[in-house]
Amino acid sequence: MLKQARGSSGRVALIISLSFGLLWEVGVRVFNVPVYLLPAPSRVLVVLAENTGLYAQASLITLSEALLGLLLGVLAGALLASLLTLHPGLEGGVMTLAILVKSTPLVAIAPLLTLWFGFGVLPKVMITALMTFFPVLVNILSGLNHTDAALVDLFHSWNASQREQFFHLRVPSALPYLFAALKISAPLALIGAVVAEWTGASGGLGRTMWLAYTNLNLPYLFAAIFVLAAAGVIIYRGLDWAERRAVFWLAESVI
Amino acid sequence: MRLSVDNLSHVFNGGADRHALEQISFTVEDGQFVALLGPSGCGKSTLLRLCANLLQPSGGRIEIEGKSPVEVARRRQIAWLAQSPALLPWLTAAQNVELACRFHNLDREPRLLPQHALDMVGLADAAGVYPAALSGGMQQRLALARLLTQEAALWLMDEPFAALDELTRERLTVELADIWGRLRPTVLWVTHNIYEALRLADRVLVFSPAPGRIVADINVNLPRPRVESDPAYQQLLKTLRAALQGQPVQILEWAVSC
Repeated sequence: MLKQARGSSGRVALIISLSFGLLWEVGVRVFNVPVYLLPAPSRVLVVLAENTGLYAQASLITLSEALLGLLLGVLAGALLASLLTLHPGLEGGVMTLAILVKSTPLVAIAPLLTLWFGFGVLPKVMITALMTFFPVLVNILSGLNHTDAALVDLFHSWNASQREQFFHLRVPSALPYLFAALKISAPLALIGAVVAEWTGASGGLGRTMWLAYTNLNLPYLFAAIFVLAAAGVIIYRGLDWAERRAVFWLAESVI
Repeated sequence: MRLSVDNLSHVFNGGADRHALEQISFTVEDGQFVALLGPSGCGKSTLLRLCANLLQPSGGRIEIEGKSPVEVARRRQIAWLAQSPALLPWLTAAQNVELACRFHNLDREPRLLPQHALDMVGLADAAGVYPAALSGGMQQRLALARLLTQEAALWLMDEPFAALDELTRERLTVELADIWGRLRPTVLWVTHNIYEALRLADRVLVFSPAPGRIVADINVNLPRPRVESDPAYQQLLKTLRAALQGQPVQILEWAVSC
């Protein structure tokens, strides 16, 4: 029954996006919107079809930057959250620093990093990591601390050490929070990579978008947006799938 | 394990101080099954948490075989079971029991194997099942199996069956009495159910409403299993009711729940 519901939700999503595309297409044709303002989706798809190689290569670059940055951000966030859980005294100081990093505007840092580290992949990965780090830290930290009181009592009654409690109780309890963090951070990672490329890059979807934009070649710009949107949806669905398997005890079907 | 509580008091400070327990003293002999009976909020659960080293008392002392609860907890000689079965949802029934077994048998072979413990509570076929797929009664059985593998000499049980339906509760009470008869641990059993206390306990300590004081200490010298039609049982029932009569609010509560 659950599977059925999921399948139909996929169909609904497809129907909604198709209707949206159709409305867009009809709107552009009926009102004769010039292509330098808004290209019809059919035109964008033609551009995509004619330049598959170009977009595939650009996507590969941007996705690797985003995923590598996400991985680093998640690792750093998870490690720091664990450290703060085992040594709660550090929390005040470290969180202040984390918030400082978080509240520095991306558009201010991105050009600087490009200036320091060049047009390659490195500054993009750094920016993506910086963007994803904070939501992961906050989520996992609250996951590690939101353990069932009855389970905490049980571990205390077993006289379990901090370490034992951490690995047997806190880490599994934090797993759902990790996935919530990933679902927030993955789209952020894509945006981070694109914005970073926008400030100067040798390749990638952001670079493609920037080139198309400066030439007012909107079909090329929208083609890149389509690819990004598709990547975002696929990554999100993938995370959803992984979450249902990893956090199986919260899914409705247990056996 | 012999347990002695001497002049124990506990105050919760959160804004206004709330006196949970006032100057409690009693002694439990090794292998005795003692029910702590009283109205909700009388501090009986607090007393149990103090014994389990989950709380530190504001005054007085607890000694278990002459040692402090901290020390006894450190030797992992206490088994704890509360109203929530407190199962780890990401582990199967067998894994839940094995984890407790690992915690409590660090340097020796377990005498009671996890599978055997599951057999004892009638969950032999559920070893590979996750807790979410078990009914409330079966979850509490699983928690009981886990407690058995701890091989603790002192069982601290805080209304473990209170959240279950009447029928399941009665069956589990009977099974627990049977298991206790075989293993003979010392048990402190918190309850607000007068019948449960009479079915299980050798001795019933009746508590007053907050701040909790012991108002009666009644020995239940009846053969097991307890027979309700036994005149002595009925007499004890009356005595226990009378002990609780001093609390007008409580009479209403009994009328509803019994």
